[in-house]
Amino acid sequence: MKIIPADIDDLGRLLREATGRRAPVSEVDLSGLGGTVRHTPEDMTAVVGAGISLSDLQGRLGRSGQWLPVDPPAPERLTVGALIADDVNGPRRYGFGTIREHLIGLAVVLGDGRIVKAGGNVVKNVAGYDLCRLFVGSRGTLGIVVEAAFKLRPLPEAETIIAARYDDLDDTLALLDRIFEARLDPVVLDLHDLVGADSEGRYTVTVGFAGIMEDVAAQTERARRLAAFEPASLDYDGIMRDPGSGRKITARSVLPSKLGEELRALGDLPFVARAGNGILYVEGPAPFPASVNNRALTELTERIKAAYDPGGILPRIEL
Amino acid sequence: MDTIGKRKDTDSHRPPGAPPELIERLRSIVGAENVLSAAAELAVYECDAYTIEKSPPQIVVLPGSTEETALAVKACAEHRMTIIPRGAGTSLSGGVLAVAGGVMITLTRMNRIVSLDPRNRRALVEPGCVNAWITRAAAEHGLFYAPDPSSQMACTIGGNVATNSGGPHTLKYGVTTNHVLGFEMVLPDGAIVWLGCTPEGGEEVDGYDLRGAVIGSEGMFGIVTRVLVRLTAAPREFRTMLGIFESVEDASRTVGRIIAEGIVPAALEMMDGLITSAVEARYNFGFPLDAGAILIIELDGMAEGLERQRERVVEICRSCGAREVRSAADREEREAIWKCRKRAFGAAGKLSPNFMTHDGVVPRSMLPEIMRFIEETGERFGLRIPNVFHAGDGNIHPLVLYDERDPDQVRRAIAAGHAILERCIELGGSVTGEHGIGVEKIDFMERQFTADTLSAMRDLRAAFDPEGRCNPHKVFPGSFRCADWLPKKQIAS
Repeated sequence: MKIIPADIDDLGRLLREATGRRAPVSEVDLSGLGGTVRHTPEDMTAVVGAGISLSDLQGRLGRSGQWLPVDPPAPERLTVGALIADDVNGPRRYGFGTIREHLIGLAVVLGDGRIVKAGGNVVKNVAGYDLCRLFVGSRGTLGIVVEAAFKLRPLPEAETIIAARYDDLDDTLALLDRIFEARLDPVVLDLHDLVGADSEGRYTVTVGFAGIMEDVAAQTERARRLAAFEPASLDYDGIMRDPGSGRKITARSVLPSKLGEELRALGDLPFVARAGNGILYVEGPAPFPASVNNRALTELTERIKAAYDPGGILPRIEL
Repeated sequence: MDTIGKRKDTDSHRPPGAPPELIERLRSIVGAENVLSAAAELAVYECDAYTIEKSPPQIVVLPGSTEETALAVKACAEHRMTIIPRGAGTSLSGGVLAVAGGVMITLTRMNRIVSLDPRNRRALVEPGCVNAWITRAAAEHGLFYAPDPSSQMACTIGGNVATNSGGPHTLKYGVTTNHVLGFEMVLPDGAIVWLGCTPEGGEEVDGYDLRGAVIGSEGMFGIVTRVLVRLTAAPREFRTMLGIFESVEDASRTVGRIIAEGIVPAALEMMDGLITSAVEARYNFGFPLDAGAILIIELDGMAEGLERQRERVVEICRSCGAREVRSAADREEREAIWKCRKRAFGAAGKLSPNFMTHDGVVPRSMLPEIMRFIEETGERFGLRIPNVFHAGDGNIHPLVLYDERDPDQVRRAIAAGHAILERCIELGGSVTGEHGIGVEKIDFMERQFTADTLSAMRDLRAAFDPEGRCNPHKVFPGSFRCADWLPKKQIAS
């Protein structure tokens, strides 16, 4: 069943009814709820309708010199609601973290129709439990996010993206070690290979610095002493990960220090890695075992799902 | 903790209701010396830093490992006893008050840094590890643990997880939830789970963000037994400034201007004239005694560009009416400033026999408004209310001064505090930014949250603790109140 609510109360009513009838909801069209943005630059916060695209939101915030510091692929086709539900992010994750770190408030309608207003519009708030984080990455299995409040950041004064290319994986990993030891403070630290074996310079290490102009210039200079860095872009991330590309991408997360082992085991598959975070994006079905689970944890998850979506009308959670 | 190493044979003084079989069982799990049940020993645990209400637990257990914690919790579950997890007891909201007795599980013996991994910027610590110890251990690697509550020399990581602690440097670095990657937890039925990122695992975790749900749950979901924290690159340089203002109003406006200019200081703290004189009387730092307000503004980062930002901050302060802007000359001076700031609550003792502190939050742009309101509230209730707070976060800390020997003053102090918190909610804020609801602010939950939101919170708690035995009578309206039950020792006196 597809539902098109007129407002948040209507969505509450529709989900309550669907729960009563045990009628699964396949799609929720939030266009009727509008893409409002209430931005207060001196608070460095914004309250945003879930239906607005991330690129529209960034455009609005940018007019006052601020941004929501996440950079997932294809932001023009990503709504704020999907950004939260799917917890998507991009190369600058190393410097700024994921959406969970910036979320301060949520209006969400639970599967059973209850309207929950979690958190608030202030940057620090410990009244009651932190319900916000529970919905980040929950894939829409607990409720439908209608509105979100975020902590923002000033747009950096300057940003530099540079890259160095290597034929050999060991040389590449050695550079990553040198960058760690140099105690630089990059906002991007990526490694990718989208060209495969026999291509010259197949491995690319990409480093980004952002912030105060003089700081960015000084760090870029220090990085250049470590390798033959050239100006570069972050386009590779979209090439690999844009959901519109039709590629089936799986993610694997390891300790950053274990990334080398993972890459050696990968063979010639193309990949993009967040080297600083230890996250590896590869094309193809998940070649790795699912995360270890525990019965108490599974039961805990099922109890939360059953409490918020008792009719099971929202997508199932995969355990 | 050395005073509790000796167990006295005081079974005759045990409060009613502590089952002897349970005491025996707990002794066999953790060792007799780590189970306290004598009235004199239990009195140590009758309150935390919120001293208005007091109620001792029936038993205190000090486990030495995860396994001992789980076994002790299981034993309590079988006896249907409530459990109250406790760290250093620095909560300012009665978060670890044993409202109706129960078994207090004190984690202070489990206080090791288990491992520190500079390459992956992580540390694995036990819950009783003191906050400041982590930064001390990480310093040689150029790293630090960012959340720095004022009680950081005493408060423990387990307590920080329970309350989602902040501190002066959260403006730039965020709070506990942004720096705790995962933890091991004993659920109220004794099961052991690991939530969030594991010590050997990557930062992406499948399933719901249960780590996020537990952080800030005020110890009502279970007992954290090991915590994996994120370490952050320590800034190389600091520029710490004191902006001296004629009025709180001017200082408040400066805060908004700095933020709107796109400068994110590491910390932006305010002390008003009254608290500044108390701090000066205690620590002789050299603060002016006639200033209306002082802003502590700290910039940090790499050396380059910091000086230009400092100059810009000085200009903004001057344009908002600062009389003078001083800069810390060296590390010693910076440390002296922070020592004064973090001990300001202690200095309030110079002003009054007692004080109550609140920690409401307002949107930064509402700071001038709430500061005016606090001043008016002080006048209205005939009380002095000095302020020392996290201005950059909009997180106020009015210290309502009173004398507990005068019941009328106590009543007025409570009423003034409540009026300020009500106003925070009206201005679009929250009744607590750091201290938590505990037993202290239960009555505000219904004002701040809708019935649906509160019921969703109760459901979440029931998922972790279906029997409601873990740290009960906290946070939710309708909770059993020890004030309703025990004579209010202080208020009555």
